Amino acid sequence: MALTRRTMLTGAAVAALASHLPVRVAFGQDRTVRFAFMQDFTRIYTFVTSEYSQGQRDYITLVNGRGGVGGYTIVADISDHANDQPRAIEAYERAKAQGAVLIDPLSTPVARALVPRALEDQINMITAFSGRSDAADGTAFPYVLPLTPNYWTQAGLLIDYFKQQDGGSLQDKTICFVHIDTPFGKEPLPILEKLAAKEGFKFLAFPYTPPGNDQSAIWPQVRRARPDWTVFWGAAVGQTVALTEAVRNGLDMSRVSSSVWLSESDMEVVGKDQTVGVMKVEPCVSGHEPKIIQDILTEVVAAGKGAGPQDKVGTSYYNYGVMLAALMVEGVRRAAEIAPDGPVTGPWLNAGLRSITAFDAEGMIPPTTITPEDHQGGGYGRIARWDGEKFVPQTDWFSANQDIVWQEIRKYSEEFKKNGK
Amino acid sequence: MFFRRAGISHTRYRDERQIWPLPIDRYTVFLIAALLLAAPFLIDRLYVVSYLLPLIIWSTAALGLNLLMGGAGQIHLGYGAVIGIGAYSSVHMLRAGVPFELAMIGGGLAAAAIGSIFGAVAMRVKGLYLAMATLAMQYIVDFVIIQFPAISGGTQASLPVPPTSFLGFPVEGDRVPYYVALVICGIVTLFMLNVRRTAFGRALAAVREKDYAAAIIGVDPFRFKLLAFWVSSFIGGLTGAVLSVCYYRTIAPEQFHLDLSIQLVAMVIVGGLGSVLGVFFGVALILFAPILLNQAVALLADQFGMNLPMDLRAHLPLMLYGGLIMGFLLIEPLGLAKIRNNIRNYFLVWPFRHSRQ
Repeated sequence: MALTRRTMLTGAAVAALASHLPVRVAFGQDRTVRFAFMQDFTRIYTFVTSEYSQGQRDYITLVNGRGGVGGYTIVADISDHANDQPRAIEAYERAKAQGAVLIDPLSTPVARALVPRALEDQINMITAFSGRSDAADGTAFPYVLPLTPNYWTQAGLLIDYFKQQDGGSLQDKTICFVHIDTPFGKEPLPILEKLAAKEGFKFLAFPYTPPGNDQSAIWPQVRRARPDWTVFWGAAVGQTVALTEAVRNGLDMSRVSSSVWLSESDMEVVGKDQTVGVMKVEPCVSGHEPKIIQDILTEVVAAGKGAGPQDKVGTSYYNYGVMLAALMVEGVRRAAEIAPDGPVTGPWLNAGLRSITAFDAEGMIPPTTITPEDHQGGGYGRIARWDGEKFVPQTDWFSANQDIVWQEIRKYSEEFKKNGK
Repeated sequence: MFFRRAGISHTRYRDERQIWPLPIDRYTVFLIAALLLAAPFLIDRLYVVSYLLPLIIWSTAALGLNLLMGGAGQIHLGYGAVIGIGAYSSVHMLRAGVPFELAMIGGGLAAAAIGSIFGAVAMRVKGLYLAMATLAMQYIVDFVIIQFPAISGGTQASLPVPPTSFLGFPVEGDRVPYYVALVICGIVTLFMLNVRRTAFGRALAAVREKDYAAAIIGVDPFRFKLLAFWVSSFIGGLTGAVLSVCYYRTIAPEQFHLDLSIQLVAMVIVGGLGSVLGVFFGVALILFAPILLNQAVALLADQFGMNLPMDLRAHLPLMLYGGLIMGFLLIEPLGLAKIRNNIRNYFLVWPFRHSRQ
């Protein structure tokens, strides 16, 4: 490119304009609590983030519309970290500089990478259905709060449900576990192996290579193993592919299950009628029935303040977002009860979050109690089945196999305490 | 006006061959070095920890890759894995009680050893085939890290970096990590500036231009390609150690996936193959354009009250970013360093127009 005076001047003008873009937007207001929702909207977790975030924002709009909570209004700062760690760290540091007291990265790699920073800076990091499973141990991870049943608990719930269905014993049954071959997919293995030894079932694990868009070699092997129960464990595209292959290999759908990562949109991809009977773990009520969702529909969506398309309201992931936002807001309410005049800091909110007691979000979630020791909230969930239109709960809220889960949690949290500091 | 060349006449070959023969260039370098040293005291910590620090670390890595790509003309799509090897080796050494200074070199040596083993195998092929062979290295290393809990750190697959110190300063807080990274980056930059003037650098250039021709004039292409792999992997391993201790503080397999390799290749190409300064420009563009575009889009949307759907708001910066990279490569295929050079040449003779072709 030959440089002329004109290109020179244009370039200089553009550079001068660009340099005026503020890298961060100043924000200051009294009696606000700042949440930073930096999530992955564009890369890997796109299948969940937009619905999850929509639920979170709608709930916060609902709360703020009613005058806030405990005299505080919530400011939710949404940004995209694209599951890229430098971007996530930048977003984290920016949130910290802006005075955020809570962050929700909704990404396992990002959450794991931010653990040392969050602990050091005393900023509450919500790691719902993501991050380190051993963060359930609040004594080792005071500022990392999953607030939801971790993957070990979800595996424990499923095995317990299978046991109930098979008349109280899994002796000599075969359970196949098809998982993505990443740390996330391999996470439930130790729990399942321990449960296999305890309950006497035959446990077979089938890893597929990430990202899992071709699993055709795995599922015939699963079929040949003649499983009594099959659990598939993945995220994003791997889930629908797994389900498609399960259908194609003629597995009995009523004996196939997954974790919390299965939604109505997945069912539409695979075929609503072909997948009738498939199970998932439900951490909260899905659909429009919960009172909070009704309130959102009347006070937020009907008023034109909804954060996204109306037909997404009430989907599984939307409700997960509402559930988590409700827990966070409950934390603010508790914190304002403990210290009404703040000051609003990480430790202030932490005290509130860690004293949430029997909170059920007006019937939307299982009664959740967070203590300084237990950040998982008791590990309650329920099993739901797809009936062709929606997920229908098969059980009441229940918790199971927590002794084994906590053994595993402590094993890793002790190690973290020893090496992390 | 700015770069007066008039009146500077070198009377000895040594003066002519300095890295920065013009005094104005030397002053600029000193000024930038002084600003970088003073940065933690001058600017907000946000900019130091989340902009300058990654810029410095990624630049060190990209310099290492540039030696291989720009210097020796060998493409490497597994450089993220090389950095990963350095990171995991050094963190395991740190956890075993080895001091950081040694662990850093240990990480570099481990990466260099493994990197050159793959290099030796990959050297049997050239061009696109070499790209595929190095890509295979990326996947093999990823696989090994994930499959061995002893390496990755158990089911949580994240390995916290223990507290450590560098030359007596504890590496914690915001400033010490920054200075450690800066020192390492400074050393690597000086090495890269000088390597081109050595016999080794000239041999690499010969191999890059045509390996048959290099063999004819007595440069063993295999030996020098392998050496290039060794040196560049060593720098990668070193950067891995700095990256994990000074920046990430917890390492996980995802940090060293193909994304990182591609990102580094993009940085080197956008910056300008073979250019040292270009690497810094390339890193700044690739690392920060998405962040800044995101903020710009968010700001504009808020300022003008546009209620953009979140999906569009998140994807718009990506489209602009793609456009930006294509634009730069279309306008100046030789990279950002060449653009800077054009500007410099323009001002060297300003207000005359002799630099116009």
